[in-house]
Amino acid sequence: MNPNRSFFVPVDSPLHRLNPLTKLTFVFAMILPAFLSVPELAPILAIPVFLAAFIGRVQKPYLNLLLKLILPTITFMFVMQSVFLPGGETILFMLGPFDVTQEAMRSAFFTVTRIFVMVSSFALLLLTTHPSELMSDLTQRGLPGQFAYVIISTLQILPQMQAKAQTIIAAQRSRGLDTESTFLKRAGSLVPLVSPLVFGSLAEVEERAIAIEARGFTSKKTKTSLHEISDTSFDKGLRWILVILILASVALRIWLS
Amino acid sequence: MAFINLTNLTYKYPLTETPVLQNINLQINEGEFVAVVGPNGAGKSTLCYTLAGFVPHFFKGELTGSVEVAGASLLESTLDEWVLNVGLAFQNPFNQISGAKYSVFEEIAFGLENIGIPREEIKVRVEEAMVRTGIRELADRSPYSLSGGQQQRVALTSILVMKPKLLVLDEPTSQMDPIGTREVFGVIRKMAEEGMTVVLVEHKVEWIANFADRVVALKGGEILLEGKPNEVLTSELLSENGFGISRYTSAAREAQKRGLWKKKQLPVTLDEAVEGFKS
Repeated sequence: MNPNRSFFVPVDSPLHRLNPLTKLTFVFAMILPAFLSVPELAPILAIPVFLAAFIGRVQKPYLNLLLKLILPTITFMFVMQSVFLPGGETILFMLGPFDVTQEAMRSAFFTVTRIFVMVSSFALLLLTTHPSELMSDLTQRGLPGQFAYVIISTLQILPQMQAKAQTIIAAQRSRGLDTESTFLKRAGSLVPLVSPLVFGSLAEVEERAIAIEARGFTSKKTKTSLHEISDTSFDKGLRWILVILILASVALRIWLS
Repeated sequence: MAFINLTNLTYKYPLTETPVLQNINLQINEGEFVAVVGPNGAGKSTLCYTLAGFVPHFFKGELTGSVEVAGASLLESTLDEWVLNVGLAFQNPFNQISGAKYSVFEEIAFGLENIGIPREEIKVRVEEAMVRTGIRELADRSPYSLSGGQQQRVALTSILVMKPKLLVLDEPTSQMDPIGTREVFGVIRKMAEEGMTVVLVEHKVEWIANFADRVVALKGGEILLEGKPNEVLTSELLSENGFGISRYTSAAREAQKRGLWKKKQLPVTLDEAVEGFKS
């Protein structure tokens, strides 16, 4: 992550210029069919997500994210599911004492492609949309300000919490806390970190609440936004098409069953 | 009618027995720059929270007496109305960063967005405020990547940009170097001259002597002394009660005992000390 603590890649592309809600709709137009429609649809949906990464000119960070984060996770899931999913009959091969069946592999494949479509389309959204733009757009469309604040401040504050935990560990170590010997001892040494971190954070929350309240956070006036977020007729049209696609995919499932 | 009117103000935090503020009577005029000094636990921060409306609206507890700012009564107002008139910045800059914004420019705009100022006006006001406090070059940085002193300036700017009638500052320069402190005090002084009323809690007495119009000395929740900076800050009462004293005052007091300081008035700042010892 960059120092700004977001995945956002600041380049200019057709995808970056789209309204945040349109991109969010795209994400759901990938996820909902992948999970709700016929399972065979999920692998096909990976293709538009992949293409969109090129349109958004974020293919490099996108592939990077795929290789480092998504691929290891889904490979692990695929192996576990293929080996342990019960109920298969056609045994393909043995892995140690376990049978790997064709049915289990098939089901594992569809599960991981669904996960893949979900995570990678969300990644695409985060790569091409600045978090504050996404939030101010959603707030202007009626998402409560408090809700948006919780999401975005969590993203920002987590790294701060990590830094604070490091400081506390350093302080406790300088007073002789053991953090380098056996696993059990190290696990035990986490206990004295918990209360300074938790209580310290609670005290900070109070101060932060005062600070944002002093800046009119709970004001009853209608909030405005520094960012002007364009919402073109192209955006609106695209959103309708995506919604229709979602409905069509669900209808397909019902029709086939 | 004074701009700020505190009458018989007494306040207890919830679940406590002893009042933190006791029978405070204080009048402050519009455009006045008042500094509050006192040892730890004197009630300085509580006084700030009271002026800013967080006592009793946020902290609850028991408040008697009356608090009036700009003609409005605290107990009859709600907090979200109150903060439109009164701006508050406090010591720890890190906790004053909203956490919802990715650049300093956006951070400063946060308050204006909340109170519904139109976009174009926000841009102009943020720009103006940043130039004023000398942080224009930080506009695109992440608020979390700044030093403590820079964050304090951002916190102060975030409040100034809202143009409150009363500015309440609780040690706003605690993490700044002397140059930064001088600049910030200069900005605050200027705001006061333009009509903003300022109440400032500060330990750096030499700065107070240079910039404030009046000093209020708090001790154990009560006003011990109040008056012109030089009279209050050089008073014997302050050194007897554990207040922070300027080293120039202490030096001159010793010198006075040995007949080396001829003037009646003791100095607070270096300049006054030099002046006094010369004559």
